[in-house]
Amino acid sequence: MFNSRSLTILCGLVLAVCTAFLGVRLRAAGIDPTSVVMIVERDSNDIAFMDIKTNKIVGKVFLGNNVNPHMVMMSPDGRYVVTGGTRANKAYIIDVATLKLVKVIPVDIAPEHLSFSPDSRWYYQGNPQGDSIAVIDMQSLTKIKTITGLVEPLNVTFLPDGSKAYVGNYGAHWVGVIDVRRHELLKKIDVAQVPGVAKLDPAKYLGEIKGINYAAPTTDGKYLYAADSDLGVVGKIDTREDKVIKVIRVGPDPWRIYMSHDGKYAITPNNGDNTISIIDLQADKVAATLEAGPNMTGVNYAAGKAFVISSTSGFVYVYDMKTLRPAGRIKVGTNVQLETATTDIADEKLYLADSTENAVVIIDAKTQQMTKITEGIGQFPWGTHIMDSKDNYCH
Amino acid sequence: MDRFRVALGGVLLLLVSTAAAAQTTSVSGRVANTQGGVISNAAVTLRLLPPPGAPVMPRTPNMPTMPGMAGAERTTQASADGTFSFDQVAPGQYILQVDFDGFERSSQAITVANQPQTVAMSLQPLEIPGAEGVAAPAAGSVTDTQALVVRIKELEQRISDLESSTVLSEPETRVKRIEVYVDPNGNEHDQPVAGAKKTVTYRRERVYRRQTINEKIEEALADAENRNVKLGVSATLATQAARRTQGPHGDADGHAYQLSSADLFFTAGLAQYTMFFADVVGLSGAPPDTEIPSITLLNSYTARLVHQNELNLREAWLRTEVFSQRLSLIAGRVDLTNYFDRNAVANDETTQFISDALVNNPMLGLAVNGTGVVGVIDPKNGFNFKVGFQQSSANPTNLSESAYTLGEVGYVMTPFSLPEGNYRVWYRHDNSDHRQRSGAGISIDQKLTPVFTLAARYGQADALPGRDHFYSTGFQIANGAVVSPLDTWGAGYSQTELAAGRKEKLAEGYYNFHLSERLRLSFHLQHVIDTNAPGTFGYLLPGVRLQASF
Repeated sequence: MFNSRSLTILCGLVLAVCTAFLGVRLRAAGIDPTSVVMIVERDSNDIAFMDIKTNKIVGKVFLGNNVNPHMVMMSPDGRYVVTGGTRANKAYIIDVATLKLVKVIPVDIAPEHLSFSPDSRWYYQGNPQGDSIAVIDMQSLTKIKTITGLVEPLNVTFLPDGSKAYVGNYGAHWVGVIDVRRHELLKKIDVAQVPGVAKLDPAKYLGEIKGINYAAPTTDGKYLYAADSDLGVVGKIDTREDKVIKVIRVGPDPWRIYMSHDGKYAITPNNGDNTISIIDLQADKVAATLEAGPNMTGVNYAAGKAFVISSTSGFVYVYDMKTLRPAGRIKVGTNVQLETATTDIADEKLYLADSTENAVVIIDAKTQQMTKITEGIGQFPWGTHIMDSKDNYCH
Repeated sequence: MDRFRVALGGVLLLLVSTAAAAQTTSVSGRVANTQGGVISNAAVTLRLLPPPGAPVMPRTPNMPTMPGMAGAERTTQASADGTFSFDQVAPGQYILQVDFDGFERSSQAITVANQPQTVAMSLQPLEIPGAEGVAAPAAGSVTDTQALVVRIKELEQRISDLESSTVLSEPETRVKRIEVYVDPNGNEHDQPVAGAKKTVTYRRERVYRRQTINEKIEEALADAENRNVKLGVSATLATQAARRTQGPHGDADGHAYQLSSADLFFTAGLAQYTMFFADVVGLSGAPPDTEIPSITLLNSYTARLVHQNELNLREAWLRTEVFSQRLSLIAGRVDLTNYFDRNAVANDETTQFISDALVNNPMLGLAVNGTGVVGVIDPKNGFNFKVGFQQSSANPTNLSESAYTLGEVGYVMTPFSLPEGNYRVWYRHDNSDHRQRSGAGISIDQKLTPVFTLAARYGQADALPGRDHFYSTGFQIANGAVVSPLDTWGAGYSQTELAAGRKEKLAEGYYNFHLSERLRLSFHLQHVIDTNAPGTFGYLLPGVRLQASF
């Protein structure tokens, strides 16, 4: 009586009626990827999911003994959460709908930081000790290529159109340009020249190299700013021509550069002299150099302020981004080690990993009051991540 | 209104699905393991991909996923023989994925045209070392032999990983400071209990963390270094020559001078936020100040010279931080000029100016280091407050002799959209020379550009009769207009006017080469004119300073 065509038409009609009168909608199952903070728990080898509204752990995915995950990220389409297991030499893929580990992919040695292409198709897993990037296709959930020729690649930045990616090489002084279509290293952009007088200082220049951590994009993707730790400079790269158009001197040993959310300023925490350099991105010059703390691992922006994490001092230093002046500091604890933080989408709260206390510290950016969450937090939280946060980074 | 819109959307969808129903096909396949064994009852999902270039929308639980929309999913269960099928599939790009407990997800992109399509899906076992309650593959779906083969392959891979990365896998232990609750019976509880008191204790916890042998060694070395006394050395050789420019020929005309200085300093952590510091210095040589009787020292190191070729204890103090480290207290043998009247451009005789008038403000009046105490309140909001007490006498007989008290307020500003500037005002009171004296001054350093910093000082102090005055100004160039990136250079001028009528004008320029992290070489040119003195004189002093620090 009913053929398949008629059945389809009838089902569609019923669906329309139900939707109109009952307000029934088909929903995807699982957590809301936009409402959780992901926490990398390095020594308990799992990824925890904390609800932003209730601050309760709503899910946890164990990866296996001795995995030691490093950085976690949600794919832009909200379907997968991925992390690299540094001591397992593998990439781990978690399904967000079921909060289950669904794939383990061998990559190169000691995977750490990672990045997604804007269309969620490619997951680039950096392997600093393997000097490579594993390219994982998120459609087939397989590694399709390993990009070699890099030198301790720490972070990858994709252009908004996804055509190219830029790699910060901590073991060198250049930023690598990758053709995302072919997943090949196209060129190397030297951020600055090593000064000739370097040959007089083999202890510094031959003992260890601290190059480029990250190439930070401007909001429109036209330029990148990359800090070189050994050279104490920030290079501005034009992504259309892939060349350095300006070199800005900052303080000694800048860890990396962090862009403010309004695109007006950027900050380099200079671990060589415990200062920060605030760069005016309109004028491309240092607008202020201010005292900070030792061993800085991150900068977050919220409520018109910058929050600089001083890992070993237990303090978060605060700066007013309107006046470019110090605005106090927040004492998180004594004998603690602070890691990195993420900022919520509303730019109101920071979620800071406090590894020695097995805690996540929530800092209200307006009041600078903090709340320590320990319930349900695993061992040695190393980092946090919120989908679409403008401050997602790792160290 | 909302319901009307949704209903309208549903009707439109109905029309679309009606049209699509005329062009659908089927997608089917079979799920097996890597050895070809059947996997029954696996969950199979077919998801429509967005068109290339479409904006990525995150999937949320509230997002409607109507059939035909990008992201829309259809799920079915494979049958006992591993086969599955989706009917009425419209042409397009899809992701086909298969999930089954104990196995990794299999996912692949497929293009559905107008023809029925058959896809073979293969699953690999998912191993999570240390996980509890991991479900074994369903009985009968995989043979024992096949499972053994898979397991052997995995073990071989793990051995290969271990060989390649040389890691230590034993559980690591670390000690943690924790809060517990102890009841009146001495029983310890992890959570609050009626009658129990919160106490702090220490406990070891075990973590499953792999470290490479290199990391273990580095950690052990860093730990050992933190427990040790740290030792540092700083050595300076300053050579200067003098050429008379004003007044009759004097003793110093045409003479060369050299002063060598070696500092040995120790630091040690004693307790939480408490450290000990000591600085022992030895000097040898003849500075120009032995022959040129200027008001201020032409070589700032001369101030440290007590006896030639002898070691002297320059500083030895204890520093602690209290009240959440907002207040620092330093006590012992101190040099108050290290804390008061500082200046970013004119403060460091090892790397900046060599003339004492451009390193310190003579109106501070502190001649030598001595026993003292300093309190610094620095809430890190731009303000800071300092109070200090120090004895400044080479041979004191008691603490109240030659006692100096100083207070200072400092502020960091960024005026008129300029970079940072430091503004300090100080006041001092002392009882040296058996009378009560006071002095006050300001010290300013303001960056005008990232390269150029301007500095100024002013001070005045009680004299007998009247007041002495001091003015200085200068600039420093850094991070630009230099030969090598870390070089610096600057110029300064100072004027000292004593109430007794004597005046001194001094100018200096220098260029400092940063040769390495530990070695600096600088060239100086000073000109000093001393007027109203018995025998007014002027001297030009070129100089070279070599400075090493470890």
